[in-house]
Amino acid sequence: MKSIHSPHLRLLVLAAALLAFPLVFSSPFYRDIGVTFLLAAISASAWNIVGGYAGQVSVGHSMFFGLGAYTPLLFYTLFGWSPLAGIPVGIVLSVALAVVIGTPTFRLTGHYFSMATIAVAELIRIFVGTWDLVGAAIGLQGPAVARGWWDLTFRSELPYYYIFLAVLAVVLLTTATIERRRFGFYLRAIKASERAARSLGVPVRRTKLQALALSAAFTSVAGSLYACKTGFIDPDSGFGILVSVQMVIVAALGGAGLLFGPLLGAAILIPLQTATNTWFGGGGSGLTYILYGGIIVLIARFEPGGLFELWHRVRAMRRRPARAA
Amino acid sequence: MLLEATNVSKAFGSFLAVSGADLSVDEHEIVGLIGPNGAGKSTFFNCLAGDTLPTTGRIVFDGKDVTRASPEAHARAGIGRTFQVPATFEDMTVLENVMVGAFLRHPHRNDARDHARRIVELTGLRPDQPGRSLGTPGRKRLGIARVLATEPRLLLLDEALAGLTPTELQEAIALVRRVHEAGVTIVIVEHIMEVIMTLTKRVLVFNQGHVIASGTPEAVVKDDAVIEAYLGRAHRRHEATR
Amino acid sequence: MPDCGGRQGRRGRAQQPMVVVQVIVGGLLLGAIYALFSSGLTLIWGMMNFINFAHGEFVMLGMYVALLTVVWLTGGPAIFAVAAAVALAALGVAIYFSLIRHVIRGPMLAQILSTFGLALLLRYAAFFVFSANFRSLPPNALSGTINLAGVYLPVAQLVAGVAAIALTLALHLLLTNTTVGSKLLAVAEDRTAAMLMGIRPDRMQALAWGLSAGAAGIAGALMATAYPWSPTVGETFGLIAFVVVALGGFGSVLGSLYAGLIIGLIQAVSAYWLGAIYKDIVVYGLFVALLWFRPQGLMGKA
Repeated sequence: MKSIHSPHLRLLVLAAALLAFPLVFSSPFYRDIGVTFLLAAISASAWNIVGGYAGQVSVGHSMFFGLGAYTPLLFYTLFGWSPLAGIPVGIVLSVALAVVIGTPTFRLTGHYFSMATIAVAELIRIFVGTWDLVGAAIGLQGPAVARGWWDLTFRSELPYYYIFLAVLAVVLLTTATIERRRFGFYLRAIKASERAARSLGVPVRRTKLQALALSAAFTSVAGSLYACKTGFIDPDSGFGILVSVQMVIVAALGGAGLLFGPLLGAAILIPLQTATNTWFGGGGSGLTYILYGGIIVLIARFEPGGLFELWHRVRAMRRRPARAA
Repeated sequence: MLLEATNVSKAFGSFLAVSGADLSVDEHEIVGLIGPNGAGKSTFFNCLAGDTLPTTGRIVFDGKDVTRASPEAHARAGIGRTFQVPATFEDMTVLENVMVGAFLRHPHRNDARDHARRIVELTGLRPDQPGRSLGTPGRKRLGIARVLATEPRLLLLDEALAGLTPTELQEAIALVRRVHEAGVTIVIVEHIMEVIMTLTKRVLVFNQGHVIASGTPEAVVKDDAVIEAYLGRAHRRHEATR
Repeated sequence: MPDCGGRQGRRGRAQQPMVVVQVIVGGLLLGAIYALFSSGLTLIWGMMNFINFAHGEFVMLGMYVALLTVVWLTGGPAIFAVAAAVALAALGVAIYFSLIRHVIRGPMLAQILSTFGLALLLRYAAFFVFSANFRSLPPNALSGTINLAGVYLPVAQLVAGVAAIALTLALHLLLTNTTVGSKLLAVAEDRTAAMLMGIRPDRMQALAWGLSAGAAGIAGALMATAYPWSPTVGETFGLIAFVVVALGGFGSVLGSLYAGLIIGLIQAVSAYWLGAIYKDIVVYGLFVALLWFRPQGLMGKA
């Protein structure tokens, strides 16, 4: 029996490491990786709620990310307001979109839902690209110079890092709470067998919608954070398919449906992505995405449970020879 | 009258799977549904459980019309069912599986867990065993435990005892008896005659979508129409030996 | 041959500027190709309840196979069309055996990710090998335009569209009127029952994947004769295939035919009336409307 302090100790170490990281690795290069890592972890953890736990695989989550990214910058561009004002609006819009999409598609099989998410994300991306009010193909920009802290425009990466870390903590805490309660059990039951879940009185459709709405809300916040940090958004960086892809692969690589899966996935993928971008030059070189595609296929074929699952399996195999069969 | 199904029919396109079936179940009864494969008993069963929408007929449970109610609504009303092929929640432990059921009447986690634990003990399973590591008999037992946690008044068992060794079968029969003694009304679809003979007091025989006989198990197995349904016309002259 | 005159008359327009006619005919011809590759997607859906997210990439690859055939073997349209069909059919079967067969029995996440990841892989591999430049086939037997009753059409478009309709109908007839077809449908209907009848579901499903990919490949080759392309087109075609399949009904090849033509028409008319940027918006918007109001489409089961 492990000591009961062990999981708490590990959590403490993780928290300490995350808190100390930008202080120890203080060059802008490393801090930027840290911020990118946190953002990826937040998005993927948000996706995880509906895609990992409930098993409803959305491959168009960028629709929520983009909404959350555009609204702060839109309010700034149109009215000169602080980007902060746009964040709740982004959340409301994303939740509304989630309900609009989920209601008809959750009646049908999982594949249909996935198909619908891609199509809607694409629809929004193209549409936004034609709409002058939101900057059409050029996009929107945020405050070039901060008028105050509320513009969330900082010169150093450090404030971004800690804000993002706080948001990540909120997402993970929410997920952990859900895991322990009825909602979390219902999500996992739906993923395992909708039919059986129904027969036990689980309100399947309602639960799926709630999961999608919650996931959409958090994803929207991630988008808002991204927009505040980069100070710029356009249809591709907001609603592009690669945004959706990254969320899915980060979560799936580490372990979809596990609390820390997305964190693990981000910890591996973000440094990897930075490395390949430096080697192969530029995000559009294609090689990074060949890699992404290959990793996704390998995960799907050999270890859908992600790296955590792989680790458990390896550990179980190592233990077996020591025990009687 | 706890459950009253009248004139239930189900058509799939032009194929009539069930035709004008009636069933009345009193509280605390154990009723069996038997019949050859394709006779319609499973379709009828699914209509009772809310998985299939009947084409005609009415199903009333405890005074409430549940003809068109969803499976979730059935569970809330107090009708539980097991599946022929158990749909175990693989990634969860036995206890967690049962907790999913328990949450229906106990929304708070600790209550649900305590209630689930009691049920798990009742069925003789180990609470911390992963769902995926269970063999077929364990999964079937887990299926029963899960649905028991929803505190059903009527339990629909769908071939819950098939594929078991003789010892496992005796244990399963004992479990069903315990459940019945705890006050649950049971409707059981089964092929295994021993189960029907020992557990049920009343049996409905289906063939080609119709109810062709109904009565005590002993009477039903001697019924000509039943013998013909199972064994064909040539064997009608021979009596089934018990 | 589609009866252009009849269609115009039915819609009650008396006087047609030639441009509008051109747009309509062009849309239908392109729609025929949509129908062809979408029929592959709907076949897989009907058989295995599975959506191939890389289907658009199969079409895209068909276009490049056509190009390579012309460049390396200097073949004519018949040759490179067949080459595309064969190459993609082989790829489809290979993908079935190495990937699909395994994930179909597993969790939903694995199923979705498998072809989704494949799509990425194929798309960016194409970027890497062929670069992002738009390509066209070198001049061949189908170059040039033809004048049909005042309407000027590229010969390639006309031939491609007609061939696409013929092939789609051929696929439909294959499924409904041949032994092989009934075996495929049997597996789609009830796998276990088919097994009991001596049909091997595994083989039939592999065959379906071959047919599906082959249809996509040949559609790509046909399209390559008339329209320029780049690796990005796979994404658009994939989505169009979704819309066509959703409109025509999951599992119905004939439904794909009707739906493909309709979508091609809608797209062309939208581009003409609203501007080229809007053509995809209208199509995807139609999809969202279908989601809400008629997910089972015109002719299929949901």
